[in-house]
Amino acid sequence: MNKEEEEKKEDQSNSSSLVQKIQSLGQTNVVQAPDSNIHVLTIIGQVEGHMQLPPQNKTTKYEHLLPQLIAIEQNPKIEGVVILLNTVGGDVEAGLALSEMIASLSKPTVSIVLGGGHSIGVPIAVSTDYSFIVPTATMTIHPVRLTGLVIGVPQTFEYLDKMQDRVIQFVINHSNIKEEKFKDLMFAKGNLTRDIGTNVVGTEAVEYGLIDEVGGVNEAMKKMNEFIANNKSSENQVIQ
Amino acid sequence: MILYTPLSESDIFPSSENAYKNRECINYNGKMIIADKTDDGSYQMVQLISTDPQDYLDQRYIPGTFLS
Repeated sequence: MNKEEEEKKEDQSNSSSLVQKIQSLGQTNVVQAPDSNIHVLTIIGQVEGHMQLPPQNKTTKYEHLLPQLIAIEQNPKIEGVVILLNTVGGDVEAGLALSEMIASLSKPTVSIVLGGGHSIGVPIAVSTDYSFIVPTATMTIHPVRLTGLVIGVPQTFEYLDKMQDRVIQFVINHSNIKEEKFKDLMFAKGNLTRDIGTNVVGTEAVEYGLIDEVGGVNEAMKKMNEFIANNKSSENQVIQ
Repeated sequence: MILYTPLSESDIFPSSENAYKNRECINYNGKMIIADKTDDGSYQMVQLISTDPQDYLDQRYIPGTFLS
């Protein structure tokens, strides 16, 4: 008796979930799209660091992205990653962590700066194998700032200067911009109202050597497929 | 009341913390999802966190849907 009752219950729950599916989708089977060989990582809003920002802020959390980057590296079906950037910047160390992770991926990476890739968005944008910027996007390059409790001693400045140096070193190592030029842009006066730094727009970023090319999705996907084809041909050669 | 200030409205009148108290990051079908917990205990989807572009075309992960 008990078994029969259980079976009845199961049948009922099965049919009710079926009814739910039919109600919500009008069909019983969701058509599965084939797995994509190119994955997308979006870096939006603020790059959130150790401090949790108030929930009304749009943030990119490194604890969400770092495991995904590992998963991408491990999954043999994934052949490349496209990084989409529209960020106002944020935590220096969280941004550098993301940049280093992207730079050390063995799979081809291409970034597209859309809208804005400001401050710590700059190292993230240049961390990929090839970077694109859409003509209307901008990147603000400015000195690192500190919020919260600041102790008024010379060491504070040294700490800040070292942190800034890490950002500068990363950018010049992963892009074609010269250190002098990047520092000039970073400490320029008169470009930003009442602030130090430069707002670099689309084509200018390419002229300075910061970004590789002006382009959007089409160009990025072409480049990505080129990288994937190159990877495959070099793999074949090794086997032979 | 008339305000004349360069600050944004949210800086002057911060939204209450309670408005986001129910927001949770959950695992649903192996996908990382940010969802609001509703009064009856079910979850309403807010955002999908995935690197697979096909996931965003999946009907099951449209923001606003109730997760069962």
